[in-house]
Amino acid sequence: MDIKKIFKKGENKTKSDKHYLSGKEVREIAKANSKEMRRLEKEKNRKRPESEYVTSMRDDGNILEIEDLHSYFFTDQGVVKAVNGVSFDIPLNSTVGVVGESGCGKSVTSMSVMRLLQGPTGQIVNGAIRFKANDFKRDKNGEPIPVYEKDENGDIIYDKVLDKDGNVKTDKDGKPLLKPRQKKDSAGLGVYEKEEKVFDIAKTPIHEMYRIRGRQMAMVFQEPMTSLNPVFTIGNQLDEVTLLHIPGADKASAKARSLQMLEMVGIAMPDRVYASYPHELSGGMRQRVMIAMALAGEPRLIIADEPTTALDVTIQAQILELFNDLKTRINGSILLITHDLGVIAEMADYVVVMYAGRIIEKGTAMEIFHNPLHPYTQGLQKSKPTMKSSENELFNIPGNVPNPINMPDNCYFKERCSKCVKKCSGDYPEMIQVSPTHFVACHLYGKEN
Amino acid sequence: MSIEQDKINTAETSPEEEKKIASDGDFSNFDDEAEFLKEEKAREEKIEADKLLPPDEDAILEVRHLKKYFTLKKTLLGKPLSSLKAVDDVSFKVKKGETLGIVGESGCGKTTMGRTILKLYQPTSGQIFFKGKDIADYKPKEMRALRKQMQIVFQDPYSSLPPRSTVGDLLSEPVKVHKVVPPSEVKDYVLDLMEQCGLRDYYYERYPHEFSGGQRQRICIARALSVNPELVVCDEPVSALDVSIQAQIINLLKRLQKERQLTYIFISHDLSVVKFISDKIGIMYLGSMMEFGNKKEIFDNPLHPYTKALFSAVPNPDPTEKAERIILKGDIPSPANPPKGCKFHTRCNCAMEICKHIAPEYKEYEEGHFVACHYCEKNYKK
Repeated sequence: MDIKKIFKKGENKTKSDKHYLSGKEVREIAKANSKEMRRLEKEKNRKRPESEYVTSMRDDGNILEIEDLHSYFFTDQGVVKAVNGVSFDIPLNSTVGVVGESGCGKSVTSMSVMRLLQGPTGQIVNGAIRFKANDFKRDKNGEPIPVYEKDENGDIIYDKVLDKDGNVKTDKDGKPLLKPRQKKDSAGLGVYEKEEKVFDIAKTPIHEMYRIRGRQMAMVFQEPMTSLNPVFTIGNQLDEVTLLHIPGADKASAKARSLQMLEMVGIAMPDRVYASYPHELSGGMRQRVMIAMALAGEPRLIIADEPTTALDVTIQAQILELFNDLKTRINGSILLITHDLGVIAEMADYVVVMYAGRIIEKGTAMEIFHNPLHPYTQGLQKSKPTMKSSENELFNIPGNVPNPINMPDNCYFKERCSKCVKKCSGDYPEMIQVSPTHFVACHLYGKEN
Repeated sequence: MSIEQDKINTAETSPEEEKKIASDGDFSNFDDEAEFLKEEKAREEKIEADKLLPPDEDAILEVRHLKKYFTLKKTLLGKPLSSLKAVDDVSFKVKKGETLGIVGESGCGKTTMGRTILKLYQPTSGQIFFKGKDIADYKPKEMRALRKQMQIVFQDPYSSLPPRSTVGDLLSEPVKVHKVVPPSEVKDYVLDLMEQCGLRDYYYERYPHEFSGGQRQRICIARALSVNPELVVCDEPVSALDVSIQAQIINLLKRLQKERQLTYIFISHDLSVVKFISDKIGIMYLGSMMEFGNKKEIFDNPLHPYTKALFSAVPNPDPTEKAERIILKGDIPSPANPPKGCKFHTRCNCAMEICKHIAPEYKEYEEGHFVACHYCEKNYKK
């Protein structure tokens, strides 16, 4: 081998060297990007009338509909299309699992749904995220309408209003002042009327998002230690959710509710955990606290972003059991994001497989695991050793995920695919419906085949 | 108090008498302290007796009663007051060309054990026979010659490569230091090695940050193999990688083992990966070996309740098969203050009264299949 030739500069510049940019190029890209980012930020902060972001669902059985979502990051090296035209639905009372390798855009999808993308670099450029919220019904002034207790005849019960000393307050005529009695739940929190309302998350203004985020949809992050605040007690952080999101909540009722939540996630001594700091708990306990925090707002949608990746197998089994148990108890859905196919198989009803920012296959768990169609899905399943398998060599997908900047026009998986056909050099394959629930984006399953 | 109970209380009971204690007997007045001291004494005696045995000639690595304690508190004079028993009395043998898989939850001491075997930590006590020589008391200077024969691949390929040296530099440095080949041939040797590990030759001048996780792990493996070692400790080499890249690295490790007759100690928390690559498997819990044996025996016939629970906890990538799960309650206890008796009794679903008081003996049940468990001792049938 002639070594000298290899080390001569400039020569032998390979395909992967393409991402080396000159200073001039970087400045040009940055300039174009900042213009685009400013436009998007302005659009995001524009005052909108309610009619613009309140819509209706395509299918009433769904709780979340993502349609043609594009989330980009404007970096100085170029635009990273982290989510590039993703659409899927989450039906009510079901678990949808999103699976893929690191960098495939699964976390960015969940962040877009929560509107947590770090601006101004991260932006939802296009698409709709329709979410059916079950929020408090509000009157003209934006105040929630309480539910009052009624007696047998259906009349509202009235209480006399007392002043500080315990005497009955009276009006001008000497009649006692009356106040309707509000219904209370088991933690002593007032009950309010609720209504279903569909928001387009991508367009919802940020002050409206504050009401949805944490209450209507909640998130459980991967690493519980970094998402809990180390300087506040667990109780303090749990109470905050109730105090922020439920009108009329005071400290005592918030604590009662927090303790209820801790008990619900299977913590044996809720009082002790309530008073302790995050560092005093083990990894599994911390993750339980995170789940309790997510549940405190009575969410309809829980987004669990790699909830068990940082945990041991035995603790992972505990947490998965808890999620399965919760699914039946809360009237909502779970969006589970993970790279572990085993976890998906145990938990999910529907599976979405992502690769390089796009969905390549989606369907029910049965379809994806028993009849995987896309070569990537097949490879992913074969490359993971299981407890039962006994082959001598693992199947492996050669190569790496392509560079997210300057993606090719053809199928992104072409370079690593073992079943390439002529057509693969052409356009990106479209989603092909195989069965009512099973979709795949691959030229192998076109109309001709 | 009955007379029988009184007898149990006294620490003078002979070993024969003690065996008669029923596993579910009454331990309400049992003296834990005396039992603990007695166990300690018996263990010391056994260690002393085992010390004199000659090393197994078949085994490339034999570890006997290895202990590594980390001192937590000291007295004013520097005497240890309390210690964390990271590795507590572990013994096993590995033959040349075999792979030993070490499995356990985080904090069970598997990484510490791997590093103690390489003498990256000085063992507190115990013997490490590498090719028939006890290296436990070797000085760093004496170890230097042995480093050529034993190497390690670390878990995180992002932090274990020096960011300021090129791939060529960092691969040729061990070759130069240990004088594996004459200086004029170093470059050829390194390029050849890179090819074997699936690295392109033009990577020679690149820096670690230019590579993806899988490529970096290949560089780490190439670095470990650059001095032609016989024993490689792989400390979670695939945990930080994606599934498809994981398969590439595992296949690479397997291929290299075949070509170079390597012996691996493969440390991982992922049971399915360990099952795939190992010939022998050791299951650790809180610094102790709970079960040890050939892969087939461990997977077909797990004897320890912890092993069974661990196996059932692995998610099965088949939605139709919902296996009966054994869910372990609670978390792993702190290794600084492990439970008395059997270390696992606080989470065990088969725990009996005896488990809380008397530590089980690490015994051979089938040939080469060691288990430390009272429940297994009671229920084992040949």
